[in-house]
Amino acid sequence: MPEVPSEDSAPPELLAAIAADPDRVVLSARAEPEVMDLVHALLEHLFARAPQLDDVTRVKFEMSVIEILGNIVEHAYAHDSRLPAVDPSEVRRFEIQLLATDRDLIAVLSDNGLPVSLDLADVTMPDELAESGRGLALARAALDTLHYERIEGRNLWCLACRIG
Amino acid sequence: MELDVSTRDDGIAVVAPRGRLNMVSARQLKETLSDLVAGGTARIVVDLGETTFLDSSGLGALIGGLKAARQAGGDLRVARPTPAVVSVFELTNLDRVLRARDSVETAFDA
Repeated sequence: MPEVPSEDSAPPELLAAIAADPDRVVLSARAEPEVMDLVHALLEHLFARAPQLDDVTRVKFEMSVIEILGNIVEHAYAHDSRLPAVDPSEVRRFEIQLLATDRDLIAVLSDNGLPVSLDLADVTMPDELAESGRGLALARAALDTLHYERIEGRNLWCLACRIG
Repeated sequence: MELDVSTRDDGIAVVAPRGRLNMVSARQLKETLSDLVAGGTARIVVDLGETTFLDSSGLGALIGGLKAARQAGGDLRVARPTPAVVSVFELTNLDRVLRARDSVETAFDA
C-alpha cells in the first residue's frame, strides 16, 4: 500500500503542475453514469500523448480514475434522490483535469456533492465474496498517490501514477 | 459494451461482455447472470476475451453471478481474461475466487 499522500509528490505540487501545463485536458459535466464513456475517451486521448507509457500503469490509472468518478456519481445520486425538485444550482456536477508528464499520470477531480466522510488510510479490501465496497481500495492499491480533501465546499481528489 | 449470451448443447451458458465493463454496463451483466440462474441455467462461463476494461462494479457483477450460480448448485467460471482484467483480479486478490480458465470450451472440465 502506498503512503496517502506520498511525500515526494504531494497534492499542492500536483495541482500546480496540472494548472500550469498547456497540455492538460479538462472536462466539466453533470455527475451521471452516462458521462463515463466520455471520460474513457479523454483518457484514450491522454494515453495517446504518452508514448512511453506501459500497459500496466495505463490500466491502473484508468481503473482508478473511473473508480473515483464512479464514487462521485453514486454519491451525487444518493444525495439528489432525497431532494424534491432540483434547483439548477444544486445539480451535482464534477470537473476532471488530466495530465501526462514524463514522470506521472495525474488526475484531479472535484465536485459539489456532499462531503466524503472517510479516512483513506482506513480503506481496506472487503471480503472476497463481497459484491461492493472495492472501489476506493482498488484505487488506493493501484495508485502511487491518492489524496482527498474538502475545500471551499467542494470535494477534491488528487490521483497520480508514476510512469515506468 | 455489448453482451453476447448463448447456451451450449451441454446446458452451459456463455456470456461474453465485449468492450468496457464499468458501472453502467455492470448492471446489464448482473441482470443477465441473475436471469440465467433464475431460468435454471446455473453453469455459466463468462468469456472475458474481449473485455477491455473492468472496474469494481464489473467485479461486483461477476461475484454476484458466482454466488447466485453456486447457490443454485452450479458455478460461474471466467475464461480468457485480457491483461487489463487480470490486473484488476490481482489487485483485488480475486484471482483465486475468479480463477481464469484458458478457454471457454474447457472452462468446466475439471
